[in-house]
Amino acid sequence: MNSMEERDPDQEEPQTTDPNERIILIHPLAQGMVVIEGATSLESLLRDMGNKYGQPPASKASIEAMPRVEIGEDNKDGECAICLEEWESSAIVRKMTCKHRFHGNCVEKWLKIHGNCPVCRYEMPVDDEELGKKRDGGDEGREWRRTEREIWVSFAFNGNRRNGDSNENPSSDSADFSPSSPSATDYETES
Amino acid sequence: MIDFARVQKELQECSRDVEASGIKVAPKSDNLGRLTGTIPGPVGTPYEGGTFQIDITLPDGYPFEPPKMQFATKVWHPNISSQSGAICLDILKDQWSPALTLKTALLSVQALLSTPEPGDPQDAVVAQQYLRDYQTFVGTARYWTETFAKTSSLGVEEKVQKLVEMGFPEALARSALESVGGDENLALEKLCSG
Repeated sequence: MNSMEERDPDQEEPQTTDPNERIILIHPLAQGMVVIEGATSLESLLRDMGNKYGQPPASKASIEAMPRVEIGEDNKDGECAICLEEWESSAIVRKMTCKHRFHGNCVEKWLKIHGNCPVCRYEMPVDDEELGKKRDGGDEGREWRRTEREIWVSFAFNGNRRNGDSNENPSSDSADFSPSSPSATDYETES
Repeated sequence: MIDFARVQKELQECSRDVEASGIKVAPKSDNLGRLTGTIPGPVGTPYEGGTFQIDITLPDGYPFEPPKMQFATKVWHPNISSQSGAICLDILKDQWSPALTLKTALLSVQALLSTPEPGDPQDAVVAQQYLRDYQTFVGTARYWTETFAKTSSLGVEEKVQKLVEMGFPEALARSALESVGGDENLALEKLCSG
């Protein structure tokens, strides 16, 4: 991607450390800059950003694998949280790994849209095709780095409130761009 | 196809504890696809004392898709457009879950009034004011609440009386007022449309 980098005279000079631990987001037009540091925050950010467009659909296999359980006298309290119908004795319902129960039709429909539990957001396995993009990197490091690229894109999106521009041509190493170029013209373009 | 059976259940459930939550949901017409939500401004915020109307449109996929919600009452808040009433709230977008309901979504909107997130603004002007001049922000938000969210200084009885004077039966006037959260203009509109 053409990552825009900017030197804002009002901003304090950020210190560069290991590029894997720091991401700097700069919006040249709005004069905005965000620095994200540390593996911990990156991880949580990663989680949030992964959900930016919602959890991807659950894999067919994982939907199939959910056990069918019978509603008995001892566990008929409550309702299906999706259709809000109360449980009926001896009805057969689906139980997710997180133990939450739903009508088969209700939960399957949801999991084919977003693969998480409607109640606790427990995440279901995702189909391989969905992960393909992340997996083709091979080893862990590559995958991590590619994911970091996604962080950058999402964030720029967010800050801009503008769709399009910068996320068309992702590069594989946005984490490498550092704030070390004191350009007087406010931004330069890296490839 | 909207799950109307569920929407009916939601409306019943919601009307059961209006007293406790102060949150109301009422259909705009016989079609349950369009509703009006009402939330009281949270105590201890510049929105306190206001009653906020929210237009709700249910998409065909409801409850598998989030309801569309937009403030009908003008409100000054970093995450709500001061122009259109559009709301920036994750659960109304990618973080929706079918276990959420109109009531819990409205509770989240009410919580948003208490906890603005100027870092992720819907209205950049409001967010800037919030960050740069908080006192002015509070003043403006309070002024907007006074001006737009307090539909009338009249009490319910006076509003009913006003509608009765216009020629509507008292019981009808009362229920119309209730269903729109006490806004006499909306009540009149409802009564006129039958």
